[in-house]
Amino acid sequence: MKSSTICQEWLNSLPPTGGYLKNEQSIGREFLLEKGMPSKKDEAWRLSNLNKLNSFLSLPRIIDNKDMKSIFPEKDENRERIIINPNKNPILNINLPNGIENLNNREIEDNIGKIVKSTNIKNDISVYLNQASSLELLALKVKRNFNQSLEIVIPSIEGKSISTRIFLLIEEGAKLDLLQIFTGKNNSAQNHLIEIKLEPKVELTHGLISLGEKKESSSICTLAVEQSEQSKYSLHSIHHGWDYARYEPRIIQSAGEASTFIKGLQVTKLKEQIATHSLIRFEGPNGKLDQLQKAVASEYSHCIFNGSIEVPQKAQKTEAAQLSRNLLLSKRARIDTKPELEIVADDVKCTHGATVSQLQDEELFYLLSRGIDNHHANSLLLKGYYDEVISHFPKSARKWNFIEKLIQDVKK
Amino acid sequence: MTQSNTVEEIVSQPYKYGFITEIETEKIPKGLNEDVIRLISAKKNEPDFLLKFRLRAYEQWLKMKEPDWSGLTYSKVDYQDLVYYAAPKQDIKKKSLDEVDPKLLETFEKLGIPLSEQKRLSNVAVDAVFDSVSIATTYKEKLAENGVIFCSISEAISEYPDLIEQYLGTVVPINDNFFAALNSAVFSDGSFVYIPKGVECPMELSSYFRINSGDTGQFERTLIIAEESSSVSYLEGCTAPMFDTNTLHAAVVELVALDNASIKYSTVQNWYAGNEEGVGGIYNFVTKRGECRGKKSKISWSQVETGSSITWKYPSCVLQGDNSIGEFYSIALTNNFQKADTGTKMIHIGKNTKSKIVSKGISAGQSKNSYRGLVSISPNAEGSRNYSQCDSMLIGDKASANTYPYIQSKQPQSNIEHEASTCRISEDQLFYLQSRGIDFEESVSMLVSGFCSDVFNELPMEFASEADKLLALKLEGSVG
Amino acid sequence: MISSTSETILSIEDLHASVEDQEILHGVNLVVKEGEIHAIMGRNGSGKSTLSKVIAGHPSYKVLSGSILFKGKDILELEPEERARIGIFLGFQYPVEIPGVSNLEFLRVATNSRRKELLKSELDTFEFEDLVKEKLKIVEMDPAFLERSVNEGFSGGEKKRNEILQMALLEPVISILDETDSGLDIDALRIVASGINRLSQPNSATILITHYQRLLNEITPDFVHIMADGKIIKTGNKELAIDLEKKGYEFIDKNAKEKEMAK
Repeated sequence: MKSSTICQEWLNSLPPTGGYLKNEQSIGREFLLEKGMPSKKDEAWRLSNLNKLNSFLSLPRIIDNKDMKSIFPEKDENRERIIINPNKNPILNINLPNGIENLNNREIEDNIGKIVKSTNIKNDISVYLNQASSLELLALKVKRNFNQSLEIVIPSIEGKSISTRIFLLIEEGAKLDLLQIFTGKNNSAQNHLIEIKLEPKVELTHGLISLGEKKESSSICTLAVEQSEQSKYSLHSIHHGWDYARYEPRIIQSAGEASTFIKGLQVTKLKEQIATHSLIRFEGPNGKLDQLQKAVASEYSHCIFNGSIEVPQKAQKTEAAQLSRNLLLSKRARIDTKPELEIVADDVKCTHGATVSQLQDEELFYLLSRGIDNHHANSLLLKGYYDEVISHFPKSARKWNFIEKLIQDVKK
Repeated sequence: MTQSNTVEEIVSQPYKYGFITEIETEKIPKGLNEDVIRLISAKKNEPDFLLKFRLRAYEQWLKMKEPDWSGLTYSKVDYQDLVYYAAPKQDIKKKSLDEVDPKLLETFEKLGIPLSEQKRLSNVAVDAVFDSVSIATTYKEKLAENGVIFCSISEAISEYPDLIEQYLGTVVPINDNFFAALNSAVFSDGSFVYIPKGVECPMELSSYFRINSGDTGQFERTLIIAEESSSVSYLEGCTAPMFDTNTLHAAVVELVALDNASIKYSTVQNWYAGNEEGVGGIYNFVTKRGECRGKKSKISWSQVETGSSITWKYPSCVLQGDNSIGEFYSIALTNNFQKADTGTKMIHIGKNTKSKIVSKGISAGQSKNSYRGLVSISPNAEGSRNYSQCDSMLIGDKASANTYPYIQSKQPQSNIEHEASTCRISEDQLFYLQSRGIDFEESVSMLVSGFCSDVFNELPMEFASEADKLLALKLEGSVG
Repeated sequence: MISSTSETILSIEDLHASVEDQEILHGVNLVVKEGEIHAIMGRNGSGKSTLSKVIAGHPSYKVLSGSILFKGKDILELEPEERARIGIFLGFQYPVEIPGVSNLEFLRVATNSRRKELLKSELDTFEFEDLVKEKLKIVEMDPAFLERSVNEGFSGGEKKRNEILQMALLEPVISILDETDSGLDIDALRIVASGINRLSQPNSATILITHYQRLLNEITPDFVHIMADGKIIKTGNKELAIDLEKKGYEFIDKNAKEKEMAK
């Protein structure tokens, strides 16, 4: 990696921040100044379209909020929605619902950046880019008595880039249904860094809908989650419509004894590239993981999955299963999938699998032979393929019309 | 008594090939430079094209950096502190076995590879390589009747220079990687096999490699060419004495299969693995690659890797010809501080090409056993298929098993399927066997053998029992 | 078959045992003599299977106190394979599948280790094949099963027959058959039961662990024990099993309660 002038210029153009993020900002800046943007030689970025990544440096960072004009589907009654204005003081105008509080100063100091740090990878550009450019922090505590569903919506702005930084502390014993929605506008870039800490016995169902729109929208999302013992974390994600997206869920079971369920779907078309780089680490015994990652690539697009699972010596009796299933729908499209299992505990059960194929000809033929035309038959089969992930989202999430979007785009 | 403790004891058995043969050796001075390469080439009386090949490789090597991507840490090799040519002192290559130093024959006999006419194996032709030179090749005449050429690569260079010039370095280019470049510059000996069109090789061919000197790097070079509609099964074995320094072994193996040809290449690698503290042992940095150039050709690798302090090798298949087939069957057993990073690359280029990968890793002690593989389907490889299965077994809670299967597809009309699992010896299975009166050691050995059976079934008959014995030796102690 | 001069094969005294730090057996007493057939009945979780595993020496089960004597000798310090060699046989409720390990090879190694103990000559591959083919008839098994991996892909009935085949080959002194009848259809049950009957010898003994009466219609026990909460709470003859079938386990609970009250 060599420092590039464009990176330096970008760093110089960023407004400074104060408060809790000040230290974070200097970490990100120092790294980027010294090392610059990644190159093909960095294992974690080898397959990444680095030209597209550079759009993060070329778009102006918004610093006021007058451009915010997003229209969202109406929210359900029993759901609380927080729309993040990614600029000045994101939570200033938000009336926090009952059961959700801002973290106090001490809590922020004790927690912020810790989970990210414990999941740092070599040349962690996604994180450093965010640290260097995030100006405000949304830090919330979900209390045990909060009994509604929570939506966090993050819009983007045409021709601009945004960075958001979120920290959620979910108190012992709480049950939460969280839905996060990212939408991308034409020629926009967004970078999200989300830390979530699950205290013991927390049950969190986390839906993440990330929808790019139009051309040249880019997204980087790093999700760092720490699970305490006896917590249960279900993460369901959809990535679609981004010209460039990189999604990095990183989950640490800090004392083992927890369950993690992951279902992810990424769909690419045109010349898009979407990559998922997941990391799951067990730092205690009796942890469980069930991970399914699905990808569909058509036209000239490129889907990447890199799935790391670490089971160190102290994580005896871990049971982990990872499956990567991929559909390659066009001759010019490309799928790369790379599970990485590192195991140093002998009393474990770990399995992983990967498949790359096309839609099954027999299934297709069956539908065609019943008089369904080719387009509909393909759509039906794809819908079936998506369903394993989509079915885990709450009904209200359907308002975001992602199913229609997923299907209308894909042609064989 | 915990299960893992006792299983660990079982796998920690002394290395029985660790003796040194006292023999006068001719060595050139330590160090590597252009003059050394010229000297090696001159000693071997090589034609000019080969000297140029070596010098080109050396030039490339100087520009290359030792790789460090695999996460393997080891004390770096001082390339100027190695001897690049060592040979037992004897005037010229012996015409018959009677003239070979009896000490050498004795050495190979001790290793279970008798060479003399009375004792040699009845259905396997053997090329025995001691340090840098080939000592003897058995059954040459009988093979020649069928037009099969089986000899040391040095001999092939002088006898069949055209074949060498045509094929050498075409599968593994001289600048393929750091160790391949080094090998291309300094390789001393190795085996050469040529199977003419339409010939099914009448017996198993086998090379046996023995490192004897402690400060000598071993750089053997093997080239196998199977012409149209021919077939051959080849196997190699390796051992070395125990030294407390690390010895470098950087071999290159190239296979070429033309239309309808089939090559089966099997390895039992049992280089000295270092002691229980991880001191000493062979660095086994090997480049092995086969090209299925012809349509319907087939290359099948099988390997049983039990030795070496560090193993770093990925026997690969480039499936160029339409309907060609690549296979990789591997057992890797590591113990103490051994590190094995092995796997394969299956590069699908031709239409309807098929590949199959079965890998079984067993790690004990504080060893590290990694499967690293690549399956790549190029846009033109319509109708291609791959199936991979990688299973790891852990013995003891300090051993590690890593799996890095990398899959890349650019062809929608293809199928890739990968399955992997990691487990330990099941207590229930162990108890079941014991409850039928089978003792602990034998039960463990049976279960490990059972775990590996998919791969054993792929080894040549003569060899499968050898490999099973080798595994049992590591597992069972004095038995074997 | 039972006579007053019959020797004692197995004698269990006040046996307490645990698994995963939980005490399951709370003082079992049992004496089995030559020529006897014992049935142990009881609900799920009463400790029947635990008892069988403890006798066979499963490493997960810990003996806390009490003793198990086999022909007068303490066996608690013996490894499972040593117990098998002196003639203790456990027929598993769920025989484990062992992929890759040949059934024939497994049977031969097991048979030879028992023969060695009996000071009989070890059998080579050919001799063993003759023997095993003979024994296959007892359980009406297809020789093709020998070519497969141990229990792999066997149906429930085939697994149980493979267990009885092992019993036939090992010629044990005492056979403990843990729910051998479970999961069997009528035909398989008949084959297995007739196998057990044919294999019983005047100088050997059998313990049948079962849930139901139906196996006992085929094999007549000399004693029936009922286990509850880690103890044998009632012992009787075959009538007890019939009684139990009729009245259900509740009648035992009642009995037990009355006993408690009497105390």
